[in-house]
Amino acid sequence: MESLNTFTNPLNPPSPRRIPLKPFQIHHHHPKTTQRNLPSPISCKLKSSQKDTTKSSTKLISQKILLSENMPPPLAEEEDGVEAEKPLENDKNGAMGMWLKRLPRRVLSVLSNLPLAIGEMATVAALMALGTIIDQGEAPDFYFQRYPEDNPALGFFTWRWVLTLGFDHMYSSPIFLGTLVLLGTSLMACTYTTQIPLVKVARRWNFLQSSEAIRKQEFSERLSRASVQDLGIILMGSGYEVFLKGPSLYAFKGLAGRFAPIGVHLAMLLIMAGGTLSATGSFKGSVTVPQGLNFVIGDVLGPTGFLSNPSEEFNTEVHVNRFYMDYYDSGEVSQFHTDLSLFDLGGKEVMRKTISVNDPLRYGGFTIYQTDWSFSALQVLKDSEGPFNLPMAPLQINGDKKLFGTFLPVSDTDASSVKGISMLARDLQSIVLYDQDGKFAGVRRPNSKLPIDIGGTKIVIVDAIGSTGLNLKTDPGVPIVYAGFGALMLTTCISYLSHTQVWALQDGTAVVVGGKTNRAKGEFPEEMNRLLNRVPEIVGQSASEHSEDRGG
Amino acid sequence: MIFSTLEHILTHISFSIISIVITIFLISLSVDEIVGLYDSSEKGMIATFFCITGLLVTRWIYSGHFPLSDLYESLIFLSWSFSVIHMVPYFKKHKNYLSTITAPSTIFTQGFATSGLLTEMHQSEIVVPALQSQWLMMHVSMMILGYAALLCGSLLSVALLVITLRKAIRVFSKKNNFLNESFSFVEIQYMNERSNVLLTTSFCSSRNYYRAQLIQQLDQWSYRIISLGFLFLTIGILSGAVWANEAWGSYWNWDPKETWAFITWTLFAIYLHTRTNKNWESLNCAIVASIGFLIIWICYFGVNLLGIGLHSYGSFNLH
Repeated sequence: MESLNTFTNPLNPPSPRRIPLKPFQIHHHHPKTTQRNLPSPISCKLKSSQKDTTKSSTKLISQKILLSENMPPPLAEEEDGVEAEKPLENDKNGAMGMWLKRLPRRVLSVLSNLPLAIGEMATVAALMALGTIIDQGEAPDFYFQRYPEDNPALGFFTWRWVLTLGFDHMYSSPIFLGTLVLLGTSLMACTYTTQIPLVKVARRWNFLQSSEAIRKQEFSERLSRASVQDLGIILMGSGYEVFLKGPSLYAFKGLAGRFAPIGVHLAMLLIMAGGTLSATGSFKGSVTVPQGLNFVIGDVLGPTGFLSNPSEEFNTEVHVNRFYMDYYDSGEVSQFHTDLSLFDLGGKEVMRKTISVNDPLRYGGFTIYQTDWSFSALQVLKDSEGPFNLPMAPLQINGDKKLFGTFLPVSDTDASSVKGISMLARDLQSIVLYDQDGKFAGVRRPNSKLPIDIGGTKIVIVDAIGSTGLNLKTDPGVPIVYAGFGALMLTTCISYLSHTQVWALQDGTAVVVGGKTNRAKGEFPEEMNRLLNRVPEIVGQSASEHSEDRGG
Repeated sequence: MIFSTLEHILTHISFSIISIVITIFLISLSVDEIVGLYDSSEKGMIATFFCITGLLVTRWIYSGHFPLSDLYESLIFLSWSFSVIHMVPYFKKHKNYLSTITAPSTIFTQGFATSGLLTEMHQSEIVVPALQSQWLMMHVSMMILGYAALLCGSLLSVALLVITLRKAIRVFSKKNNFLNESFSFVEIQYMNERSNVLLTTSFCSSRNYYRAQLIQQLDQWSYRIISLGFLFLTIGILSGAVWANEAWGSYWNWDPKETWAFITWTLFAIYLHTRTNKNWESLNCAIVASIGFLIIWICYFGVNLLGIGLHSYGSFNLH
């Protein structure tokens, strides 16, 4: 099994001790950490327990936590731990049983390996990049032509690669999802094995009792003729938490910066969980409804995965009262609005709201978004007969720019080529009319009710009936994902803080000060010097000399 | 009318000032002793900051919407972020290593924005319905600030790589050539890729000590600023996702721009994790951050060249 070592601080004899192990545990390696020259002693005392080795895997890392690192790489120990397992399988009695019991811990140790995690992240990034280069969601024919076998891109990349590996739907392909799942398990393993014990360790504070230990810190100074209590007061005034025990002092600041990475990982796990729930348990649908008509929500929504459960509110009927658009002075569309009413099964109106883009309607767990618009029909009077509803067909859709048209026949409809009046529109504001020969005849606005005479026929545009494009969605994963987002933002902010620790010892009339920090290493010496400058100098018998002096 | 002239004037003033600042930097390289020049270059940068701020505010008032709705405005915002980042260490009274990177970056971004390539985009455009939201301010400004900080950090890492590699090449060549090993004046030059500014620093005494110290400080600075940029990028991506959910009902659509922003985020997460291992520390991290430089430009500009997807507002065509 793994060897258990404790690192003790100079409170006890300085050399690291090895606790003797149980007889059947093979202790065949030297942990590399003992031979490294540690710049600073581990400033906490870690207990090793001699209990049953099948206990929790926190013991796996109790050996080598260095406070000066953010996430101590359990590399040395993990690999050794894995190797040490093998000789045990020779034990005949219950070998499989022991191996099975150790399997979770072994898996954990493999998963929480840092280079593996980095490799997984890199793989995810590369796959995502590939997904943007290869067009997604096209028919197989497209890929046959883009990546032909007789002329492969990069010399080997043909459509076979694309279709078998699922690159045409990269973001839901097994490879990508599998890598994400692996990354998620690595996250969980790493949080469990590394980060949580780190919390326990960092919360312990300990005094350094000898000047040599303090001098070995990243930053150390010696103040002659000072008192450690004054230093404590200055530190407290600067936001540190100070602990004073006899001649020695320990202060720290920014401990939250140590915990925040755990929060970051937990937030990411939360987001992943929420995203999975969204992908498997939500309902989506979109519909284009002409003004004046209605639809039932349940008809429009379709499930996305196996966890989707329809709710009672799916029986609600939605009625589009009115659809209208706002325009800029230049004629471009500025906003779409839809006035919606919701009716329940009994016909009672339960909600009424006018929605627009960026302002959806929320009711009963589902949300209705305004995403698009279309032109349904043009209501015209022909020679004072009518009104006729002429359906408008989309002629050209170019993102936000659309062109619709319709046709009113004026000659005999049985003839082989029918002549008529064409009407085109880009929006609901103005209709452009063309005569039987295709020549421009005029522009009319629907609310003006002005007639136009085209080749003897009098046309009055009564109304332009638009249809609204709505997206409906119900997503149980959204609260979880939002919680994850908030937590991620918060914890990322907090993890920017630097965890600073300061030790001091009263050495006769002098004070030896040492400190270290984990993030803001550049500014640390200056900040400490500023603080130390403010420590008053204790002058012996000579009178009122001012004190802003620092001895060397 | 007055606003557009004011905007015009401010654009040209900021561009001119920053050109002067760059010239001053170049002069101060060859003539070390003129401290007054350094001072005036600092003042020049502050003046540039105010000019660009004025430009953005004028545009905001004139057009009625927050000045971040197309590529031109986002470029101006980017150069504004660079000048802000330039000034922050100035307030903390640190020696300003970043200035050699932020100042040229500002000028190049500003220059590109005001150049002839994008003249057709200078006009204030109307805002399509999808962009009329309060989220616009937070999402886009955070993203641009994040890009600016990450660009600075990755440029510092590139500088670090160049110094380290020059040292390695020099040591290697010394072994082959048996040059005199006595202490002498050594000049370390490193090219800033964006600007071709040669910062020549003369060191006397042991060359390794100063070089090592420079490397260490560059390392520290790039770490701090990349962490800050990572924070902004995280907030930007997440606020974009929330905004997308409010507008279209789905917080992640695998849109090219979203995907590339996520790739950038992943890469800098790799950078931060690489730093935890002391053995790898400076060299590998610097390599990762240098890759990040390319990726940010692909994310910001390259995707816009495609002009597809939900972020097509930022597209433009290079003729």
